[in-house]
Amino acid sequence: MLERAGVPAVSICTDAFVIPAKAMADVMGHPDFEFVTIPHPIASLTAAEIKTAVRPAVGDVVRILTQG
Amino acid sequence: MTSAPELPVVDIDEIRRVMEDYYERGWTDGLPVMPVTDSILTDFLAQTDRDPDEVLLDIPHLNRACTVRLAAINAAMAGCRREYFPVVLAAWSALKAENYVARGIWQSTTGTAPMLLVNGPVRERIGLNSKGNVFGSGFRANATIGRAIRLTAINAFGLRPGELDQATQGNPAKYSACIAENEEDSPWPPFHVEHHFNVEESTVTAFTMRSVAHIEARHTTVPEQLATDLANTIARTGALIHETISACIALGPEHAHLLARGGWSKDDLRRFVLEHAVNTREALAAAGKDAVSGKTRWRLSSGHGEAVPDSTPDADVIRVLGSEQALQIVVAGAHNAGVSAVIETFGPRPDPPAIAPVES
Repeated sequence: MLERAGVPAVSICTDAFVIPAKAMADVMGHPDFEFVTIPHPIASLTAAEIKTAVRPAVGDVVRILTQG
Repeated sequence: MTSAPELPVVDIDEIRRVMEDYYERGWTDGLPVMPVTDSILTDFLAQTDRDPDEVLLDIPHLNRACTVRLAAINAAMAGCRREYFPVVLAAWSALKAENYVARGIWQSTTGTAPMLLVNGPVRERIGLNSKGNVFGSGFRANATIGRAIRLTAINAFGLRPGELDQATQGNPAKYSACIAENEEDSPWPPFHVEHHFNVEESTVTAFTMRSVAHIEARHTTVPEQLATDLANTIARTGALIHETISACIALGPEHAHLLARGGWSKDDLRRFVLEHAVNTREALAAAGKDAVSGKTRWRLSSGHGEAVPDSTPDADVIRVLGSEQALQIVVAGAHNAGVSAVIETFGPRPDPPAIAPVES
């Protein structure tokens, strides 16, 4: 939605939601839509634990944001 | 030896092959569905003046919509008789008015189900059960009208488990959930009359529900005791997702009459439960729900990083129901025991219930 509005964006979801995320991408007409996954869960983590969980994904976020 | 009676020639193997084909295409809820032909669809569409292409409900973020035709196909597949179709159409109107489906509630991890409540003369006309086993099995109209909504969710909106339906556990009502009010055994005006419909009208009310909690209160004759039992069930901390919640009490007729004999109206029960469906701050803290998220307003522990105080931070006793509209009351079931139920609905619900008339 943001990208359609001209704002570069990356979707991030936990690995528990990979199948619904792919299904939503299909429904929206972008079956090859790239998104970043991080380990589940998130809701029960502390801020420090979240930082640890997302650190390995930062490279992918930057790559998707800066590609064509 | 007598000759065999003339029977139509039907190849049962062929019928089973058709039903297996429906399974393979992913068009079922796990149970067999009824095959649908053009002539059957025509029969269903003849039950309404509405255009087959009219959109009943759309989910914009899925780019999908349910039309009258899709609703009819799925109602026929669910096993509805064609004369049930106006009730199915009213159910879609009520679900649209309730405004949770279009926002994606059927995809949520919460795993809600649409619970339909039917009032008025249509109940008798099509054989909807409002009495014994009202939440259970055994009645075609109840079973198939509720199922028509589920099959449409699967087939028109693509809400298959593990794909677009992310329910963590779901609940048994996701197969079918359609009850009728037992107006005949109720001491009070019917639900739809309470909400300004004519007693001769038929209506469908939609509730997005999370669970049905069973209430045992067989030995009390005191309205306050029964109402306290109901209030305690509504107040359970496990139900607290948002800051406040909502519920529909389905009173068994025996309980409804117990209250009416004590001079209680529905409003008396509603006021008592609103006041007594509470938790202490301490009990909320013990369950990790004594504050709310500053982002989502969901309940969480005051120790959580997103925590902000709830709406009544100075109160030691906190109500779980935020308004009178958050508690609805109906009468359902057999007049045979002191048993009731609390239908736990989704959302704080400060607005009137979503009720749609059945076209006759």
